[in-house]
Amino acid sequence: MKFKLSLLTALALAGAALASAKSIELLNVSYDPTRELYVEFNKAFAAHWKAKTGDDVTIKQSHGGSGKQARGVIDGLPADVVTLALAADVDALAEIGKLIPADWQKRLPDNSAPYTSTIVFLVHKGNPKGIKDWDDLVKPGISVITPNPKTSGGARWNYLAAWEFARRKLGGDEAAQGFVAKLFKNVPVLDSGARGSTTTFVQRGIGDVLLAWENEAYYALKEFGADKFEIVTPSISILAEPPVTWVDKRVKKKGTADVAKAYLEYLYTDEGQEIAARNFYRPRNQAIAAKFPDNFAKIELFTVDAAFGGWTKAQKTHFADGGTFDQIYAK
Amino acid sequence: MRNSTLRKIAPALTALLALNPALRADELSDLRQALKALEQKILVLERKQELKDEAAAAAAPTTPKITVNDKGVTIASADAVNSLRLRGLVQLDHRAFFNDNGAAAGLNNNGFVLRRARLITEGVFAKNYSFQLVTEFGGSAVSILDANLGIAISPALQFKLGKFKAPIGIEHLQSDAWTFFNERSIANNLVPNRDLGITAGGDLLGGKLNYTVGILNGLADGASTTNADFDNEKDVVGRIFASPFKDDAGSALQGLSFGVAGSYGREKGTAGRTSGYRTDGQQTFFSYLATTITDGPNWRVSPQFDYRNGSFGLLGEYTVSTVNVRPSATGAKSELQNKGWQLAAGYVLTGENSSYAGVVPATNFDWSKGTWGAFEVTGRIANVKIDDQAFPLYASAASSASEASAFGLGLNWYLSKAVAFKLDYYQTNFDFAPGAPAVPSAAVLRQDEKSLITRFQVAF
Repeated sequence: MKFKLSLLTALALAGAALASAKSIELLNVSYDPTRELYVEFNKAFAAHWKAKTGDDVTIKQSHGGSGKQARGVIDGLPADVVTLALAADVDALAEIGKLIPADWQKRLPDNSAPYTSTIVFLVHKGNPKGIKDWDDLVKPGISVITPNPKTSGGARWNYLAAWEFARRKLGGDEAAQGFVAKLFKNVPVLDSGARGSTTTFVQRGIGDVLLAWENEAYYALKEFGADKFEIVTPSISILAEPPVTWVDKRVKKKGTADVAKAYLEYLYTDEGQEIAARNFYRPRNQAIAAKFPDNFAKIELFTVDAAFGGWTKAQKTHFADGGTFDQIYAK
Repeated sequence: MRNSTLRKIAPALTALLALNPALRADELSDLRQALKALEQKILVLERKQELKDEAAAAAAPTTPKITVNDKGVTIASADAVNSLRLRGLVQLDHRAFFNDNGAAAGLNNNGFVLRRARLITEGVFAKNYSFQLVTEFGGSAVSILDANLGIAISPALQFKLGKFKAPIGIEHLQSDAWTFFNERSIANNLVPNRDLGITAGGDLLGGKLNYTVGILNGLADGASTTNADFDNEKDVVGRIFASPFKDDAGSALQGLSFGVAGSYGREKGTAGRTSGYRTDGQQTFFSYLATTITDGPNWRVSPQFDYRNGSFGLLGEYTVSTVNVRPSATGAKSELQNKGWQLAAGYVLTGENSSYAGVVPATNFDWSKGTWGAFEVTGRIANVKIDDQAFPLYASAASSASEASAFGLGLNWYLSKAVAFKLDYYQTNFDFAPGAPAVPSAAVLRQDEKSLITRFQVAF
């Protein structure tokens, strides 16, 4: 009798648990090279959330050039969270889309950037053109692969890194603009996103050097063979801080605010940071970064804030309509 | 030259150059570099094309689709869930009546008529919600013929709300552009035209059974709503229509559909009586006296069928329309029952299929190509009998016929699906109630009506 009672109670409890378990779906709209990172992270978070709440969460991913993705979200792509390449693209969600508050960057630690990266060069094995630093990229006969700064966040980091290098070496913005103009004359194809540029360089065999996210360069080595390509670390580069945030208007409407926030906060946990490091993103947690010494080159990094007065200013000066990129590329 | 081809010939060129002792090593190197540069250029061109293709493919799912064909102009969202369609119907007629100059002043009824000029807007939103707005610029006044909203729950349950054709007469429900004849038969006088209300309907048994039920304001025979109900009563309408052999390919009965429709309601007031029954030539042959009012139940029943077999088509209906009337507000009430029927047939001489939804010519008329479109011959007989009790208390035997019998012969030339030229000859004979004068007071009734109606039609 006791056994039957226990069995019935257990079944009832299981039934109640099953009845109350929710099935939640999130959409993470991200930039081009984060596919592999979020495939792994999403699995980890889903398991964590299930253990914590009993709810099943499925995270769908959308990838593309960061600027293009931001416009997609503004135009109605139903993102619960965005994990984009740069703050300027997320700012657009606040300024143009009115989807998030203007102070979104203060909602999570480290300016809402749970991991960082930088820009390095990927060249053919043996570095046949002898490319060592930024000024090698403007030499005649060097074919440089980089995406379009109008649509790709990675491309904007590339652009600013080259600009700052030239400004320091040649002195002044005018010289830097001339330098970057020469660099873009060596660019035969402009892909819309970083992953597209990787395809152009690695799979289509175009160009002598790919300006790549550090994580993307390592991804290319891992996927396409270290015997075919190698990474060149320039003398200086930019500290790329890809930010994340939840999209307030959408999560409020869908009722996914709690899980969306928890999803992004999980990026800061030890597990989230380890996953980032494994996928060649520099974790904020230095103890975890130390566990992956081979994943990150030693390089002098400067920030957008220090060199360009922040993303808002950099965006307006260089990438807005009529900015320096338009001036360069129109020529 | 493809990149792969270049790769294939590069070693051959190199080998050839190596065999030639006159060539120096640096020349060989230059050639290699030139080939390499050329290869890169080709790769860049290929990649640029690839990116263009990718961009086009990515843009495609969000690009609305615009279709222009003989069904109108359709703008549909990429996912086909929303669409907007613009259609039109223009019918320019010429009516010629023969032997009708016996009246003192003669009848002034020959001439061109803009019979219909319609702009039709239809749309679907969120897949299951549709609307239709039909504006009429032909006739004597601009009007909104149809304005309705559709809600599709499933193929078996679809709601329609607004102004639309009352679901009773089979020929009446057929599109104005695709009837066998330019004008519907005189039997069509006995069913109401466009009314306001709500219907539910759908297809059952895999489309073998179609049903419609609804509640409408209620109208007199042949009348259209003026956007206001003339009394507080409503009509219940219903139609059930079966196509039991529709899936029996090869069967002679595959194209047979039949059913019955009807309405029941109460009417009270002068607007409840018909404004008049018309001949094929659109001249009034029967009307109630101005003092007559309706008061009481009215009902209609209309068994009907449609049969298509290859080029041959046949359509028939029999309609009984019953109305309770008084000669004045205080006069004695009588129940009048008017009856009508028609049998119409068509045969497409050029071999295309006859269809309730119109003939689609195998080729369009094109003088330069020597193609002629499709030709169809048609024939029809019809009759309307007015209740004997209508005379003389409710209708004048001098100005109204008690019976009209008509036949028609026609030739339809479909220049394309959208454009047609139609030529119909109609003859209507009249009978009169006992006591009617030898010469009716209504000039149109003094002789049999013989008319030739030609039509140029654009329908899309």
